Amino acid sequence: MPKLTINGREVEVPAGTNLIEAARALGVEVPHYCYHPGLSIAGQCRLCMVDIEKTPRPTIACNTLAADGMVVLTETERVKETRRSIMEFHLINHPLDCPVCDQAGECWLQIYYMRHGLYDPRMTDEKVHKPKAVPLGPHVILDAERCILCSRCVRFCDEVTGTGELGIFHRGDQSEIGLFPGQELANKYSANVVDICPVGALTERDFRFAVRVWYLDVTKSVCPGCARGCNVEVHVNRRRPHHNEGRRVARLKPRFNADVNKWWICDAGRYGFKAVDDKTRLREPFRREAGTVTDASWDEAIAAVAGALERYAPDEVGVLASPRMANEDLFALRRVLERRGIRRVAFRVPPAVDGDQDEILIRADKNPNARGAELLGLDGDAAALLAAARARQVKCLWIFDHDLLASAWPEALVLGALGAVETLVWVGANANATSERAHWVLPAAAWVEREGTYTNFEGRVQRLRQAVEPLGQALPEWEILGRVLEALGAGARPPRAERWFRELAAATPAFAGLSYQAIGDGGQMVRA
Amino acid sequence: MSSHARVPSAAHAGLASPAQVTFSPAQLAEVRRLQGLYPDPRAALLPVLHMAQDTFGYVSLEVEEYVAGLFALSPAHVHEVVTFYTLYFQTPKGRHVVAVCHNLSCHLAGARAIIDHLEARLGVTVGETTDDGRVTLQSVECLCACEHAPMMQVDERYEFDLTPEKVDRILERLR
Ligand code: SF4
Ligand code: SF4
Ligand code: FES
Repeated sequence: MPKLTINGREVEVPAGTNLIEAARALGVEVPHYCYHPGLSIAGQCRLCMVDIEKTPRPTIACNTLAADGMVVLTETERVKETRRSIMEFHLINHPLDCPVCDQAGECWLQIYYMRHGLYDPRMTDEKVHKPKAVPLGPHVILDAERCILCSRCVRFCDEVTGTGELGIFHRGDQSEIGLFPGQELANKYSANVVDICPVGALTERDFRFAVRVWYLDVTKSVCPGCARGCNVEVHVNRRRPHHNEGRRVARLKPRFNADVNKWWICDAGRYGFKAVDDKTRLREPFRREAGTVTDASWDEAIAAVAGALERYAPDEVGVLASPRMANEDLFALRRVLERRGIRRVAFRVPPAVDGDQDEILIRADKNPNARGAELLGLDGDAAALLAAARARQVKCLWIFDHDLLASAWPEALVLGALGAVETLVWVGANANATSERAHWVLPAAAWVEREGTYTNFEGRVQRLRQAVEPLGQALPEWEILGRVLEALGAGARPPRAERWFRELAAATPAFAGLSYQAIGDGGQMVRA
Repeated sequence: MSSHARVPSAAHAGLASPAQVTFSPAQLAEVRRLQGLYPDPRAALLPVLHMAQDTFGYVSLEVEEYVAGLFALSPAHVHEVVTFYTLYFQTPKGRHVVAVCHNLSCHLAGARAIIDHLEARLGVTVGETTDDGRVTLQSVECLCACEHAPMMQVDERYEFDLTPEKVDRILERLR
């Protein structure tokens, strides 16, 4: 492992580490645009210049590997002057439209420019004009005048998705990012080019002009869109609710996790948060009798559910848990089942259309926690459960989240089962055709409104964290189930998700030794 | 940037229609030979694009896609190359290409007057093709013959020490 000195401090890095990463290991930032750790080296922007002892000129750090005994200086006057000149060059034809640019506040052109104090442009000639506000595809919009031609977006489409839609056309000051005429940027990961574009050339159509980025609060979480469990940041607009018509979740951004999703997320996951502020969200518990809906308090609802569980024989109760529930929820549910001796439980409802899957991230299983539900022993025969309901063996059916009418099961069979049961309880965040038929509907907090963990398809347990308050009276399922347990006489319920997890880990061998602290930001594997 | 205002129709310029964008077996063998000459077969893109231009008249988007297929490249990357080099034509060109150098030496030696003269005689402006499809007029950067400024390239041939009279004689020869 080469040992080198950067700005007077020694550091040892693995062979093959470039100088940007070696400096990063010491907490030293080498300004750069075109280098991205997830892409090949282009050496295109020239911003990452550093001085290396015994080298006559400043050298680009991205394409220079750390070597034993190397002495590197990143902040000499010569380096700073070089950077200043390079940025002045990048800005020659830039429209300087930061006041109307979405990237303002998270733009590396702006940040580095201001940091190097180059405030008065010396350009007096007319700038070269290029296309502005060009939609490239469903999610991405291009302003070619703001582009610094770093080619990150091109390399992403070549190297990560292999779709190759983008190119740099023409040359010199006419060079411009674009699509092959007639194509669009519609691959399943297209919006990642917005994240890696260091400037405001590529912005998100969905987020465009929604809210200034400095008003956003950031919470680390996990995408619930499929069994991969990509790590994300939830960006929330609490401080300017009047911007963006009160939509609380402004956007999702990928969060680096070397073992799960690297730097990326898919577009389906990125824009999957819309349900959170959707008008189908349920806010209060209610009951439905002979088609009439009456609001209920939580106490009434919990009492009704606990009462039903006690009224029916254990064999007359069927539970359809959901692989969208967190481990804590599923464990609380298992406690309820154990307490009443209920055996009819399942969680797999076949989807109406098979999910897509690829070699990059996307998994066919569109649920975040099927593995967790398996490990927690809830994997029963769902079709048999439905048949038992139809045959009136199951009299009380308790469904979490699922819309059975949007499943692969024939509608007649589902309607037959739902119509046959005496008591249908439904718990979830968004109303659907199945909840419309329930006798009791209990509103659950959405994934961004609560704490918990998912276990991804590989067995990695990862935390979701609360970014916003639950809407209305919605509660996390672990809390709903804790209250049901209390009503069944089980004693005081754990007050927080973390305490539920502690109990879960103590009671379930696969999770032994895990804790929220151990899981941290990157997740922890269950025991094989 | 060239203007595409006055391009002759493909029919009268005797050009292939997109449906015919296919190399002959002999040409395909040549493509494979060229690709084998380089450590990275992509290096053969330039000669193959010239072949395509000679065969199909100009490098249309269909031609770019066809060539991309021969190299297992995305069409966007072939488009990058074609738009980078001025010697690839993206629209039909005339039977002859007259390219006048307008770089420093030629400029100082009167290239502007030569261009003005050509524009007047041909009835086109730089970047355009005559209505009869005979000549495409271009102005280009240095062609490496400063000692004979002003100069121009007519098809494959350099013409030196230009005067309006000499230009007229050269135009006479172009049919
Ligand atoms: S659009 Fe952005 S990512 Fe793409 S080349 Fe331009 S600056 Fe780089
Ligand atoms: S691959 Fe799955 S987990 Fe990752 S962002 Fe897409 S939907 Fe979400
Ligand atoms: S980051 Fe090194 S040249 Fe761009």
